[in-house]
Amino acid sequence: MFSKVLVANRGEIAVRILRACRELGMNTVAVYSEADRSSLHVRYADEAYLLGPAPARESYLRGDKIIEIARRSKAGAIHPGYGFLAERDDFARAVEDAGLVFIGPRASAIAAMGDKAVARATVTAAGVPIVPGTEGEGNLRDEEIIAIAPKIGFPLLIKATAGGGGKGMREVTGPEQMADLLQSARREAESAFGDGNVYLEKLLTNARHIEFQILADSGGNVIHLGERECSLQRRHQKLLEESPSPFIDDELRQRMGEVACTAARAVEYLNAGTIEFLVDADHNFFFLEMNTRLQVEHPVTEMVTGVDIVKEQIRVARGRKLRYSQEDIKLKGSAIECRINAEDPYNNYLPSTGTLNQIIPPTGPGVRVDTGVYPGFEISPYYDSMISKLICWGETRGEAILRMRRALEEYRILGVKTNIPFHQNIMDSHRFMGGQYDTRFVEERFSMDKAEEAKPSRSDIAAIMASLVAHRLSQQASQIVRRGERDTSNWKWVGRWERMNR
Amino acid sequence: MRYITTVDGETFEVEINSESEITVGGRRLQVDFQSVAGQPVYSLILDGQSYEAYVYPSDQGLDVLLLGQLYHIAVEDERQRRLRQASGMQISPSGELHLKAPMPGLIVAIPVIEGQQVNQGQDLVILESMKMQNELKAPREGTVTRVRVKPGDSVEQNQILVTLV
Repeated sequence: MFSKVLVANRGEIAVRILRACRELGMNTVAVYSEADRSSLHVRYADEAYLLGPAPARESYLRGDKIIEIARRSKAGAIHPGYGFLAERDDFARAVEDAGLVFIGPRASAIAAMGDKAVARATVTAAGVPIVPGTEGEGNLRDEEIIAIAPKIGFPLLIKATAGGGGKGMREVTGPEQMADLLQSARREAESAFGDGNVYLEKLLTNARHIEFQILADSGGNVIHLGERECSLQRRHQKLLEESPSPFIDDELRQRMGEVACTAARAVEYLNAGTIEFLVDADHNFFFLEMNTRLQVEHPVTEMVTGVDIVKEQIRVARGRKLRYSQEDIKLKGSAIECRINAEDPYNNYLPSTGTLNQIIPPTGPGVRVDTGVYPGFEISPYYDSMISKLICWGETRGEAILRMRRALEEYRILGVKTNIPFHQNIMDSHRFMGGQYDTRFVEERFSMDKAEEAKPSRSDIAAIMASLVAHRLSQQASQIVRRGERDTSNWKWVGRWERMNR
Repeated sequence: MRYITTVDGETFEVEINSESEITVGGRRLQVDFQSVAGQPVYSLILDGQSYEAYVYPSDQGLDVLLLGQLYHIAVEDERQRRLRQASGMQISPSGELHLKAPMPGLIVAIPVIEGQQVNQGQDLVILESMKMQNELKAPREGTVTRVRVKPGDSVEQNQILVTLV
């Protein structure tokens, strides 16, 4: 079996996978684009090979080159991470055809779950409830979609068939918006996934987004590692995840977990995957989609179960049996993950690019930081804006929140604007503390305005600090003016001085 | 040196007596103020109370990010305040306004044309960066006088995209 792994990704997830390989005693191969020469994953791997220019299309999406590098470096397996090639069944198949191991599900399962429409049809056949939509209708033309929309009812969502991460997704509140939003969804899906096909899905209001982590081995054992609450989103991008969900109890967890395992078995699932559900206010749950890969938010599950999901992925890919049975999985305590993005929460969350001058990460008990950057690293516009993931564990949810507050306050990132203040405001929000939030919370009931939660204002301290800084700046400015005090030019002065000393 | 410092509408008088002493609202306070590692993060010990904050220059003056809250602050010394009071009015909401690219990226669409009347909050440019499409909105109402880019253009940070009057 393989003992050298190529990591076909970048950033924090590449680093995460390299760590698991190291701990298992595996040799590692990194691949990188021209923009990533100085990235952490390149430095941490045993070997590193250049893929091509910065745009993903010419580097991290070049499956052919990646397989070629795996062959040349004699890596026996490829771990795709998330994003890029992780959910491309053609890539998984090409890897297998090249005689290499793809650390992930079988190509057939990726294909079945990757096409959201096929996925919905497959799980429906296995008796799993789904959200009403245009599943099983195939790829529809604009006129057909516009005609079907009123039958599903508004509000609804346009979603990219090849989608994920909120890209190519649009929310439609009335029929008059259909044409425009359809165009922009297709345009975004085309540029993000190279596939402009979309489908419609009813938008459940006040719904929660709860997902189950699945692990499956080649012996047909399928277990779940409990749920992750991912309702805290902005424009369908997850920002914060926690496990367990404050919304569901043991009975519901067990029922949903069983349904999740059933859905995974329906496609003969192998390796790690995630079943996403929408749960309405009455605890009815619907299958949303399956992510056939490692998730960004997998660390919260690792913190509460103690299972190292990436190591388990590698073991399963080597043909081993899962080390755990369902009875072994116990959720202990509570974990929260905040995604730290280079974006400005005070300016419409616009991405912020630049060089990271200084990073002081939080440490101490119960704190984990997964990152792929370091001081001096440049945040470029080529890849997503995530700088790191900050994960805190506590014996109770309350302790996890208090610990996260403490860690966010310790975290210093200089050079770009970050959404740390956003997370601090969430941690202080009474609704969040009470677990009273759904997928619309950030957009509809949350504000960065400090008056909102009646927090004590420290405007006096802020005023003193600003005055001291302004004072320094004006003093520096006056020193610059003073420096040129000589009445002749410095060159002339040096000439005279030299002649004098002859 | 005496400063008149306005924080989101609230005014403070801060007098800097020396490196280690200030007077705020008639109270003398001991200060020890240092930048952390030469960065725009500052550590303040004020009569034994320890604070840390980011202080950035902004359009109006300084932004202070303290304990997860952002404060917009204008600092004026007395000379500046007199000058402003003498000139009477503040910046008016008319005049040329340049919409600049907040980050490098690719122009996806420009839903306005030259000569078009726009409202505050209306989309002017759609800029793709970091795989996200960002709608850049009009900061106030006005007329589009110039569109300096076209879809497909790559733009640098702070490049002027659209001009409003």
